[in-house]
Amino acid sequence: MSAAHDLVVVGAGPAGAAAALAAADAGLDVLVVDEQRAAGGQILRTTPPEFGGRRKLPTGYPWAGELLDRARSHPGIAWRHGATVFGILPVTADASSAGGADASAGPGSADGADASAGPASAGFDVLTSDPADPAGSGRVRARRVLIASGAYDMPVAIPGWTLPGVMMAGAVQGFLKSQRLRVADRVVLAGSHPLLLIVADQLLAAGARIEEVAIARGIPSPVELLRALPAVPGHVRLLGELAGCVLRLLRAGVRISTGTVPTEVLGDGRVQGVRLARADRGWRQTGPARTVEADALVLGYGFHPSTELARQLGCALDWDSAQGGWIVRHDAQLETTVPGVHVAGEPSGVAGAEQSRAEGELAGLTIAAALGRPVPERALAGARRRIRSASRFSGVVQRMFAPRREALLELATPATEICRCETVTRSTIDGFLDENPFAGTADAVKLACRSGMGPCQGRYCESAVAGLVAKARGTGVGEAGRFAAHIPVKPVPLQAYVALADDPAEVP
Amino acid sequence: MSERYDSIVVGGGLLGAALAWMLAREGARVALLERDQLNQHASGQNAGSLHFQLEYRMVEHGWESARTAAEAMPLHLEAAREWAALGDELGESLGVAQQGGFMLAETAEQVEVLRRKTALEQEWGLDVRLLDGDEARRLAPYLSDSVLAAAFCPLEGKADTRIAGPALARGALRLGAEVRTRTEVVDLVPAGSGWAVHAVERSEAGERRLRLEADTVMLAAGVWTTRLGQLLDVSLPTIPLALMMSVSAPTAPFVPHLVQHAGTKLSLKQTGNGTVLIGGGWPARLPLAADGTPDLDSRPTLLQSSLVGNAAAAIGVVPRTASLPIVRSWVGTTTVTPDQLPLVGQVPGRPGVFVATGGSAFTLGPSFARSLIALADGRPPGIDLHPYDPARFERLSHARR
Amino acid sequence: MPDAEATSGRAARLPSERGEPAEITVDGRPVGCFAGETVATAMLAAGVPAFSHRNGEPRIPLCNMGTCFECGVTVDGVPLTRACLTTVRDGMRVETSER
Repeated sequence: MSAAHDLVVVGAGPAGAAAALAAADAGLDVLVVDEQRAAGGQILRTTPPEFGGRRKLPTGYPWAGELLDRARSHPGIAWRHGATVFGILPVTADASSAGGADASAGPGSADGADASAGPASAGFDVLTSDPADPAGSGRVRARRVLIASGAYDMPVAIPGWTLPGVMMAGAVQGFLKSQRLRVADRVVLAGSHPLLLIVADQLLAAGARIEEVAIARGIPSPVELLRALPAVPGHVRLLGELAGCVLRLLRAGVRISTGTVPTEVLGDGRVQGVRLARADRGWRQTGPARTVEADALVLGYGFHPSTELARQLGCALDWDSAQGGWIVRHDAQLETTVPGVHVAGEPSGVAGAEQSRAEGELAGLTIAAALGRPVPERALAGARRRIRSASRFSGVVQRMFAPRREALLELATPATEICRCETVTRSTIDGFLDENPFAGTADAVKLACRSGMGPCQGRYCESAVAGLVAKARGTGVGEAGRFAAHIPVKPVPLQAYVALADDPAEVP
Repeated sequence: MSERYDSIVVGGGLLGAALAWMLAREGARVALLERDQLNQHASGQNAGSLHFQLEYRMVEHGWESARTAAEAMPLHLEAAREWAALGDELGESLGVAQQGGFMLAETAEQVEVLRRKTALEQEWGLDVRLLDGDEARRLAPYLSDSVLAAAFCPLEGKADTRIAGPALARGALRLGAEVRTRTEVVDLVPAGSGWAVHAVERSEAGERRLRLEADTVMLAAGVWTTRLGQLLDVSLPTIPLALMMSVSAPTAPFVPHLVQHAGTKLSLKQTGNGTVLIGGGWPARLPLAADGTPDLDSRPTLLQSSLVGNAAAAIGVVPRTASLPIVRSWVGTTTVTPDQLPLVGQVPGRPGVFVATGGSAFTLGPSFARSLIALADGRPPGIDLHPYDPARFERLSHARR
Repeated sequence: MPDAEATSGRAARLPSERGEPAEITVDGRPVGCFAGETVATAMLAAGVPAFSHRNGEPRIPLCNMGTCFECGVTVDGVPLTRACLTTVRDGMRVETSER
């Protein structure tokens, strides 16, 4: 096992990189772990070094290049790329032995419990996969951990969405940006998030034929635009980029339909067409569907924060639909309800790269202060100010583009697969809820129907399952609850567990 | 306002659901009360082993405790019969497959344990036989060459913990039983010839207090049994054990049997979905409440030593598991008693209140249910329940005073 | 020579600087690719119709960021390896997964 770090940051996106840099500048010894090969997260993905050429970062974030350069060259920051954090265990005084918690406890003892369990003052063991050995694993000790694990595209279950060729907007953009790969020739994009237009524009530039862009919401009303105006200063570049996308698409003759939702994906073994229909202001289908031929459907309805590590650690979460669903509860210093575990970026509420970077900075500074490093009040105040400024913009984006989850859920017909991994259909879940009036939580459905038990561990069905529970029981999605998360938060081979041993010779 | 039942079952795990169904089948008016959702705790979280051989935890402390543990064999034998018939009686699958189970030995010492254990079990009438390593590998080609001997019990197997409890609860519902989830029992007081059960029903709208009456009350609350005993001012000692289990992604069928080990904590089986379940009693850390007692409402923490130990034990005897992708390792809190024997019977000094828990309560659930219903009806149970009499701890605690 | 039907609509590499040519095998068949590409890119560009199966249904990458596991393939004997996070290496053996 390697030596303990003051701070282990999970995720090398804007939040993680900014946190690592702020903490390291304040004197902490930081390790950043990230699944990708290079720092930057999804938003700042670039081509691999083997491709040569100059790194091309998105134009909307002028600070990105300097942030990544400074973080990467900082002597106080170590990087473990290509590694997945599959769990985090709080360290207690006796953590090196099974000790007081031995199940073979003799008669009369209460040794199933552990007297030393308490606040995680001794830090955390961060369990990671081994980038050099897919069957291996690694373990790093950390005094504090920061969860800056980003977000993933919000899943929307529609008939046929399991066909090869249905891809998330983030996926398509990732292939373009970091691999220079166009995923298909003829593409339909459907969604509601501004990213959809950016991806459409990028696909167009990459030579794809954009058959149609179907946007669920209508054109923003003048009142909405007026409300949005105060949030714009400082983000003119981002808005300008978006406007440029729309112009280029229109100029190329691309059909951009507002008030339109996808009702079905057609195809035999792969996507061959998409059915689109008019929708009302509440995103509910109003008219008959028409068919648009295409090789791919790109979905972009927004993002869900990646909260699995916070869940696994037992942090409290709150349901906030506009901020991406389940978000990690935190205080003003971005510390979660588990002492020593901090959060920054999308897991604290999806708010985009600008706010993620500011939150990362604040988290890095407050962690350094908590570990006794001198942190000037000026720096803290600056980070807080940047969060406030960014949140004015992100708040407007969240309000204007908030997903209408109930309406999206109704796109799923009885035969639609809600859980892609275990191929559990809506009718199976609705049927279970009908026959088991005593069941009223997402986890109860998961246990009984297997929806959420597959390799993605429920990331792509949780919101729909909870939505169906809420609908059947007349409650809110928040009341229907969420799936618990367990180690490993992403699957690892069984032998990776053995590789966690302190000393391989001690493996029984 | 008070609602009147013949019987109230406290606890919505496998045992509670089996009790509700069996009672309703006899025509009783039944209410099942569960503080959470059905099947969310030990019953839904255990690995679903139907094991009738003595477990590792029973043989690792020497022969005295093994002999004591063997006294539960009549319950096991009855449970083996019950599980075989239960799905047909209910008219719904419980995912039961009894294709036999192995207990493995990898050292000469463990072979000796198996030899003595097998003889002891055979005395009690269990169908179990000792095989050498090659004989075992002929039946189970997935076993490693390190296996020197195996005790094979053809009755052993598995049930699907995900579906068994809820299926029984649905059966009870169909027969008119009431199932109330998010309903926690907060007091138990004598009322006329029966009992009044005070409960709190929780919903988004808030809390609602209920008062239900019944002739009999069945405590099927697993690890919460001791707390319910306190409401009755009776000592029903239980010890919570937080145990870890892991499950793999589905893979082509290759392990039809239940696999256990005589020298280390291991249970391994493949479910009907193709997933491989690995457990066997590796501990997790149960947090303590402010008063120093185990905090049953907080999530236990996995121990790294258990992750390592359980994986090594599984790979050691079934090498193919090494590359299996593990999807989840979770913790369930099971219940044992201070003397390792279950608690089954009338709550001492509280006529009309019955309790069952402890030991292999999933495996033995159907036997527990059948026995309690016989006792409540004043019929002789099919087996001698004296060794499991809950009064044994009451006597102990009086003797100490 | 792949037929036109199979190639129409498939993913395509954009004109761009790439790494050195490399070759992996997918289910025993050689697939040409370039250093720095992910296994997902190599397989999509080669028109592999299914990376994995779910109860017999074909799947290709959905998220391309390591969360959906639909690109899970066996790489040099390690099952459920995410093709989208794995960089190709000359001689790498990839098997698509059944089930």
